[in-house]
Amino acid sequence: MALRITGGEVYDPTNGVGGAVRDICIDGGSIVESLPDDAPRLDARGMVVMPGGIDIHAHIAASSVNLGRRLLPETHTSDPVRAPDLIDGTGRSGSGGTIPSTFTTGYRYAGLGYTTVFDAAVAAVAARDTHAQLDDTPIIDAGFFVLMGNDDYLLRQIAAGERERARDYAAWLLRATGGYAIKVVNPAGVELWKRNVRVVNGIDDATLGEGLTPRAILETLADAANELHLPHPVHIHCNNLGVPGNVATTLESMEALGGRRAHFTHLQFHAYDGGEGKPWSSGARRIADYMASHPEVTGDVGQVMFGPATTLTADGAVEYLLHASSGRKWVNSDIEVETGCGVVPYEYRDKLAVSALQWAVGLELFLLSSDPWRLVLSTDHPNGGSFMSYPELIRLLMDSAYRKDRLSRVNQRLLAGSALLDGLDREYTLEEIAIITRAGPARQLGLVNKGHLGAGADADITIYSRSENFAEMFSTPRYVFKSGTLVVDEGQLRRAPEGKRLQVQPEYDDAVTRDLERWFERYASISFANYPVAGAVRPTPER
Amino acid sequence: MREEEGVLRIVEARNACELGRAWFGDGVVSSEIRVHGEDATIDEALDAAAELLGAAKRVLVYLAPDSTCEAQRAAVALADHLHGVVDDITSSTAAGGVLAAQRRGRPTASLGEIRNRADLLVFWGVDPAVRYPRFFSRYAPEPEGIYVPGGRRDRTVIAIDIGDERGPADADARIAIDPDVEQSELARLSAATLAGSNGAAEVGGALAALSPHFDSARYAAIVYDAEPPVPSGAVSTADRSWRAEAIVLLAQQLNARIRCSLVPLRAGGNRNGAEAVLTWQTGYPMTVDFSRGVPRYRPDEPSASLIARGAVDAIVVIGNVRAEGIPPMDGVPRVSIGPWASGAEPAAEIAIDTGVAGIHEGGMAFRMDDIPLPLRPVFPGESPWPDSAAIVAALDARICARAAEVLR
Repeated sequence: MALRITGGEVYDPTNGVGGAVRDICIDGGSIVESLPDDAPRLDARGMVVMPGGIDIHAHIAASSVNLGRRLLPETHTSDPVRAPDLIDGTGRSGSGGTIPSTFTTGYRYAGLGYTTVFDAAVAAVAARDTHAQLDDTPIIDAGFFVLMGNDDYLLRQIAAGERERARDYAAWLLRATGGYAIKVVNPAGVELWKRNVRVVNGIDDATLGEGLTPRAILETLADAANELHLPHPVHIHCNNLGVPGNVATTLESMEALGGRRAHFTHLQFHAYDGGEGKPWSSGARRIADYMASHPEVTGDVGQVMFGPATTLTADGAVEYLLHASSGRKWVNSDIEVETGCGVVPYEYRDKLAVSALQWAVGLELFLLSSDPWRLVLSTDHPNGGSFMSYPELIRLLMDSAYRKDRLSRVNQRLLAGSALLDGLDREYTLEEIAIITRAGPARQLGLVNKGHLGAGADADITIYSRSENFAEMFSTPRYVFKSGTLVVDEGQLRRAPEGKRLQVQPEYDDAVTRDLERWFERYASISFANYPVAGAVRPTPER
Repeated sequence: MREEEGVLRIVEARNACELGRAWFGDGVVSSEIRVHGEDATIDEALDAAAELLGAAKRVLVYLAPDSTCEAQRAAVALADHLHGVVDDITSSTAAGGVLAAQRRGRPTASLGEIRNRADLLVFWGVDPAVRYPRFFSRYAPEPEGIYVPGGRRDRTVIAIDIGDERGPADADARIAIDPDVEQSELARLSAATLAGSNGAAEVGGALAALSPHFDSARYAAIVYDAEPPVPSGAVSTADRSWRAEAIVLLAQQLNARIRCSLVPLRAGGNRNGAEAVLTWQTGYPMTVDFSRGVPRYRPDEPSASLIARGAVDAIVVIGNVRAEGIPPMDGVPRVSIGPWASGAEPAAEIAIDTGVAGIHEGGMAFRMDDIPLPLRPVFPGESPWPDSAAIVAALDARICARAAEVLR
């Protein structure tokens, strides 16, 4: 459709627009420079216009996500969801809770004004499952990151010093799966967990063998992503997630990749000081300081929000510890000498010292960050909290009085001396929110047609009514356009078009496939021919 | 494949096991479309089906085995739009294990992980050779694995014989227990394992001999039957969930000291796919009731019970109506979409034959360890059978259109 959105206060940081009143023109699925004067208009006077939200790291369609869904009938029962009243009558009912059903996931993201979401952890062998789940997740454009940091074939190449072959393999995997980026979870640590070794002693731990350290894995995959010119650099979940004192490992990992582009994810879970006899405390300032002086590093926060969550990760060892310490039910799945998976339901409570510390560490990362383009918003949904809590998180960042009030009511036992308790008055502006939820993720992901409102961009647009209560404002957009289709109209979800799949097609030396075929014949439980997802790479892959 | 009398037939299924050969057969299946016993076009059949379902008060959409995930996805949509009930064969044959895993979770591993890593295999009252003749040679204990390079030599196989439920014949050791004490002995072993991980193990009882094997294992796999025989007089295995739950608990306790994964043996025909699709679309793996406009989980009222007490007045069956374990559906008007649909006795009101997924029709299916696999039709060229997913989607579109019309 052709439409002029007129009179709105536009936040388009990529194009240097920070609240000016501008018209935005849509023609078909894209934003255009201008339209004839008689084009239909949407009156957005008094409203805030932003690009559609982009979630750089969530878990919505992996095999692990479905294991989580299956584990939690009780949370679904407590949040049944009616079908939205779509114009074409095809709306689907579903269930919510911490891991909503697929249709509900698409509807709810769109209902928040989010139009692009990446699943951050897909086991390559199960990529077919992810495509099918995404096919049932309407509206949003979606891509996924492929787990590689503990894959047997890859580790063999690194151990043998065959880093170029490792790179070719990474490229082959991305094409075979239809993935978007390389993901590393607890490099070496997941394979160690399968060998019943539960501790990784820093990034030079050589338990797996000479030369097969977390450092070598990080270097190899960071180089691979950069040499393959992938739009998004290697996406790293560091070793020792959730462990007191792990900020040292996180900084070591960042230093190991010094000068290389790399994305460090859910940094909140990796920014703890203390341990070894000292009380658990925040290491957020050390991360913020490092990032301030290292422009090649990007990250997302992985904020913890109080309330129910479900922890689910390829980092199986962590989930065992959480199960053992919390007594909650636990799923583990070791997958094809490629990767692992663990799921434990959890609840972050403001009266618990550790939950409160985690909450504070996340907020400190945001508030101490010197560059919103390089540290963006995530809750590692559903690990730190649901994506449905983003509006509340935005309020915490934008409203210091609200934040202080909230802080006064949390357990402060582990917060002594923390930056947050000492007083951080910073308030994010609407422009900065537009950066950490749209423009920043788009830049980090290399999405040239998303996260901005310039001519040629995808017509993914969210329009909010202003409110003093930012949680309210961001939870109920008045209008949402996806690829030019009005999906939310006057606050109601009315259309649910299919989303696009975002993927890459890197080149590689075909010699790797001959060697790989031998590996498959010897060790794999499925045939080489059956591994790639036929049609995984769509005719016109989106970037 | 060879053409005989104008009909292309499968004459040999190379590399297939005995069950595989039987499953492929000659690849010749019926290709009829019937409405009340009369030949019909596909549109006539779909219109009649929409009519029948539109007039029904409560429809059961039943996901029989041997459907693709694509057909299953369309079928759940149909159930949702009909405000009906959707169920899969799991509620009859594997509910106990599913419910236990929902209460406790479950440590598992894919079969490729077991192949490459498991050095201890405990077969809990089951011999996979019966349902999976290739289990031993494809997964364990026979193949050489990355961490068990000697194959069978590097693995210890223990058979737990529980009355008539016996483990494999060539086990390295056997432990027999009386079915009457299995539950208490499992609980005792779990308790001892928990105590052992705290430094003081005193294992007694019938399963005491198992403990040292776990102690010396690096990576143990406990293989059990996730689709045990339904106890006589019961409609499902739900009341046998204590065994699945006790085995889950034991495996979880063992992971304090060693690595241990469970290998639940499911039956074939992409029943794992039905569970996966139901789970991602509704949040629940079986028996979902949409009658209030939202999915409600009703494992307490599986389709077998619903049909038996006359609580549904129409049924849509998608998949292979000949599969074992499907509840009897006599006396309820049916729309049947799947291979051999037209041959069912008594006949379905509306029957649309399709090809067999993996022989005539492509798509996706899940292996029993939830690894997704592609199904490719073996017959070349365009299939003479309608695609089951497209048929179900077309029926769903008719239902949606009717609903939209009523609103107008």
